Amino acid sequence: MSNALDLTLLDLVIAAALLLVAGGVSVALGLGLGRRLALAAVRTVVQLMLVGYVLAFVFGQGTLTAVAAMAAVMIVAAARAAVRRPSHTYRGAFGHAFVTMLLAGLVITTVVTAGIIGIRPWFEPRYFVPLLGMVLGNSLTGVALGLDALLSGVHDQRSRIELELALGATAWEAARPHVREAVRRGLIPIVNSMMVVGLVSIPGMMTGQILAGADPVAAVKYQIVVMFMVAAATSLGCIGVVLLAVRRVFTPRHQLDLTPLRRQDDT
Amino acid sequence: MTAEILLSIRNLSVRAGSRRLLDDFDLDLHTGQIVALRGASGSGKTTLLRTLACLQDPTNGTLTLRGDAPADLGWPAWRRRVGLVPQLPVMLFDTVGEELAHAFTYRGAIKKFDPDRAARMLSALRLDAVKLDDAPQELSVGQQQRLALVRALLLDPEVLLLDEPTSTLDADAAEAVRQLVRAEISLRPAAALVVTHDTGHADRWCDRVLDLQILATEARG
Repeated sequence: MSNALDLTLLDLVIAAALLLVAGGVSVALGLGLGRRLALAAVRTVVQLMLVGYVLAFVFGQGTLTAVAAMAAVMIVAAARAAVRRPSHTYRGAFGHAFVTMLLAGLVITTVVTAGIIGIRPWFEPRYFVPLLGMVLGNSLTGVALGLDALLSGVHDQRSRIELELALGATAWEAARPHVREAVRRGLIPIVNSMMVVGLVSIPGMMTGQILAGADPVAAVKYQIVVMFMVAAATSLGCIGVVLLAVRRVFTPRHQLDLTPLRRQDDT
Repeated sequence: MTAEILLSIRNLSVRAGSRRLLDDFDLDLHTGQIVALRGASGSGKTTLLRTLACLQDPTNGTLTLRGDAPADLGWPAWRRRVGLVPQLPVMLFDTVGEELAHAFTYRGAIKKFDPDRAARMLSALRLDAVKLDDAPQELSVGQQQRLALVRALLLDPEVLLLDEPTSTLDADAAEAVRQLVRAEISLRPAAALVVTHDTGHADRWCDRVLDLQILATEARG
């Protein structure tokens, strides 16, 4: 990264000043966002600094164990975040999100590092960790949206589901419209962003590469790989968790059973 | 024709929350029979029908249809043969045709949707004006309630579970419902269990009237 321009402390202070403007507007208009914005800004700095040191350590080690430990922490954090967002949850939701993201995250990231980019070893942390982060960050959204749509769907549409069961539908036949809708809702953001990529927004990774001095065409090729990787991870994560969750609200006797569901406040 | 036992209920205990609705309830429903279950609102009539349709489990007891338990037939097959029509009509689709035909797309469906038969039933229930491409959501609740009954009858259930089937209907339409149910039941042969809070009408068209309060008191006694 020799041709990347290093930022000075002053540069960071100028960036922080931009945020102060937003904070000032919030205080002036009495939006009550000032404290939250300040907290969010502090968290951004602290979390990113910590990650910087951790990444430096893991990159320095370069062992499979270090990468695996890092990946485990990332997957747990992603699964926790994913199950907190939906309006409803159930016992075992974390486990379902964890298993789904573990499989989707590891399989897809490994295919990219080992198969597409062809890095040796495939777990080379400089590639593996940031790519896994991108995969998890996006599949987290798919998992959270899919779970939310499914659980609030079966909760709110209980009479429709039970009517279909009463007419002789199997649990799967009665659940299918809600499963389909949940997957559709989970994939809206990624499909939308693939539609407008490059037209409205230049993706973060490409921006980073270009800022760091890479050839834009090379950056584009990477970005295409990344978009497909992210879309695949989001789809797999969303579909996986929805299929696991739907089994929790039906009994083996093809009855809808909402007792495992718990409402949760979004915080 | 000798009446055969269709639905047999043995030692059925049903709870709603912590409240006992029924304890050790026995009932045989014979072919051709219409039995009314009377009870005030909140007495658990709907819970009982849901239990008979196996949409929820009883605390205790067994159900058989011509000797077969739900587990023997498979639960979806049980529900096709024990047709529940909920009190509040639920409409799933954008057209009356889809509404009536959808259940024939399920894997376990035996027959094909017969639009002529559907039209005859709609007409018998004074819904001649309702066309198959109308939107069910635009019908009145009373029309939807009759549409829901047709939707269930088209599947040829052996036992009909009707939850307040005439609650939103005027006298003429209610009479049409009673006649159609009676006709369908003698045709098949099938049977019906009707829950109602309306004492007067139950006596008139049902072969037997059971009082849920009395059953519940006996259960506690």
